[in-house]
Amino acid sequence: MLKIENLHASVVGRDILNGVDLEVRPGEVHAIMGPNGSGKSTLAYVLAGREGYDVTEGAVTYNGENLLELEPDERAARGLFLAFQYPIEIPGVVTVQFLKVALNAQRKARGESELSTPDFMRLVRDRANKLRIDPEMLKRPVNVGFSGGEKKRAEILQMAVLEPALCVLDETDSGLDIDALRVVADGVNALRSPKRAMIVITHYQRLLEYIVPDRVHVLSKGRIVKSGDKSLALELEEKGYANFERDAA
Amino acid sequence: MNVAVNRTPAEAAYIGAGALVASDRKRREAYEQFIAKGLPHRRMEDWRWTDLRQIINTAFPPALAPSAPVMDKNLIAQSPFYSIVRARLVLVDGLFMPGLSTLPASGEVEIASISDMMPPWLSGVLGTGSGHADDPILSMNTAFMAGGVGIRIAAAATVETPIEIVSIVTKGEPRTLAGRVVLVVEDGASAAIIETHLGAPGAYVNSSVTEAFVGANARLDRLKVQLDGEQAIHLANCHVQLKEGAILRDCTVTQGGATTRQQGFITFAGSHADAKIAGAYLLRGKQHCDTRLVVDHRVPNCISREVFKCIIDEAARGIFQGKVIVQRDAQKTDGKQSSHGLLLSPTAEFDAKPELEIYADDVVCGHGATAGDLDEDLVFYLRTRGIPLREARALLVSAFAAEAFEDIAHDQIRDRLEQLSREWLQRRIEQ
Repeated sequence: MLKIENLHASVVGRDILNGVDLEVRPGEVHAIMGPNGSGKSTLAYVLAGREGYDVTEGAVTYNGENLLELEPDERAARGLFLAFQYPIEIPGVVTVQFLKVALNAQRKARGESELSTPDFMRLVRDRANKLRIDPEMLKRPVNVGFSGGEKKRAEILQMAVLEPALCVLDETDSGLDIDALRVVADGVNALRSPKRAMIVITHYQRLLEYIVPDRVHVLSKGRIVKSGDKSLALELEEKGYANFERDAA
Repeated sequence: MNVAVNRTPAEAAYIGAGALVASDRKRREAYEQFIAKGLPHRRMEDWRWTDLRQIINTAFPPALAPSAPVMDKNLIAQSPFYSIVRARLVLVDGLFMPGLSTLPASGEVEIASISDMMPPWLSGVLGTGSGHADDPILSMNTAFMAGGVGIRIAAAATVETPIEIVSIVTKGEPRTLAGRVVLVVEDGASAAIIETHLGAPGAYVNSSVTEAFVGANARLDRLKVQLDGEQAIHLANCHVQLKEGAILRDCTVTQGGATTRQQGFITFAGSHADAKIAGAYLLRGKQHCDTRLVVDHRVPNCISREVFKCIIDEAARGIFQGKVIVQRDAQKTDGKQSSHGLLLSPTAEFDAKPELEIYADDVVCGHGATAGDLDEDLVFYLRTRGIPLREARALLVSAFAAEAFEDIAHDQIRDRLEQLSREWLQRRIEQ
């Protein structure tokens, strides 16, 4: 599904990614762990197509297509979803309207018919229910005045409505207390399916107790320095990142 | 009177209209006040950005009595609210035209033409709405007023359906057309008034003055939408007096005209009154819009809010000058002002001049002004959700304007305004 080969990327002239290799197949959940500054968020932004994140070497193939040539909205229409570490507030745009515009833009790009308002409302209410999101929240502008937990839940709601094939979760656990973390993780787990892959980016092992990954990778200084199964996360928790950083050097 | 000093051709034309105003004392006084100062110019602090001496650079002689103007009825249908509003008063070249109007059905609403035979409720208040008799827009309008309309909402009446006043300038000819609107909302009454300005494409001066008297515990929702012809010079004042417990929700939307100068004078005359004055600009080309607000807190315990959202494209220029005065007795005043310019092109310009004049010590007042391009982080966020670049930008631009429409109580009218801003943006995208 996703193949990252020798990916190098820089941000304002500074090299951040120095040869990342990663392959993700449908149904798999991959965790990418690493200390601050290791390039985790940069990897997420490069995959989503953010301006200013320049790929200097390497390739990213998504379902056989060169992902790097696509605009951010084209990537989304093909099923890529980035859950932001810091979801952005959009004053003046009501959440439910935003979701409808986004879903129908994706459907249009895929040559599917647009969803009618009643059909769409049924879908959103159903997804909001499952995530225990108050329907009143849908009437508020996107993320405006939401608490940290509400913002993360709203991201997962977007994911549940847009039904992407590849989800990249950028530090979805940051700023969440244990109850909010559980709700978010339940939401993510409910979306696991044999056709859907996930890349869960996190600093801490804690999230991985709730979202159990198939593979764990350690990112250090812009490279994956070690990969393993879920036990690698526990090893990291015990030993810290320092050992791996030495390996990377 | 000394009229010898450096008069521009435009000023000379106004002076030359003296015979037209001679028979009426109020007109004559206003005329004298107006021509003594001449057209306002950039050396006057409040007019530094809008030099009417430069802008009105040819003669626009006033048309005081445009005898039975002929008008294509279809013009009225150009109002964005045509299919929504059921009560509509039509002013053509400043004159009230009952024949073209659809009068409100409610017996609690009285309508009268501003003429020699006004009912006392109208003649008694006409011209008394302002403490700024020397204001040039006001004195010009009073001197050259062709006519206008008064609306009175009876005490305690709640008029649900909005009443639209459509002001139409029929010909884009170099003329000055002056119309007046008087709104009397008696104690405990409430009403929603829309003032829509439409006009022909050629150059003209549209002088428009609204006087509003909002009684104790009364509420006025006023919306002004300016869709004047593309070469028009739009000079408009709104004078509002609020009695105790009165509520004002005012919104002005400027999309038409070449030059707009609009002024709002809001006076708190009774305590516990609450005013929100919002505005949106949709400007492109070389359009110029300068809003000056003077909010005068004379009594304690009143609330004022000003929110202006100015979308400026190409080489257009938006200006916001907001003054909040808190008089010595106006303790516990809560006054906040904000103005925001969204610049869609490197040659667009936004100037803001907030002013606070506070003489009371127990008040909460503040102001904020920003200007900038669309936030690229927001654009990126929308795109990661599958919304293409153009649509993402359009959505954010109309969301920016939408804050100015927030307090419009009537859903269909608010939707129509949001549509107006989307259509405006669409024209940009199609170019």
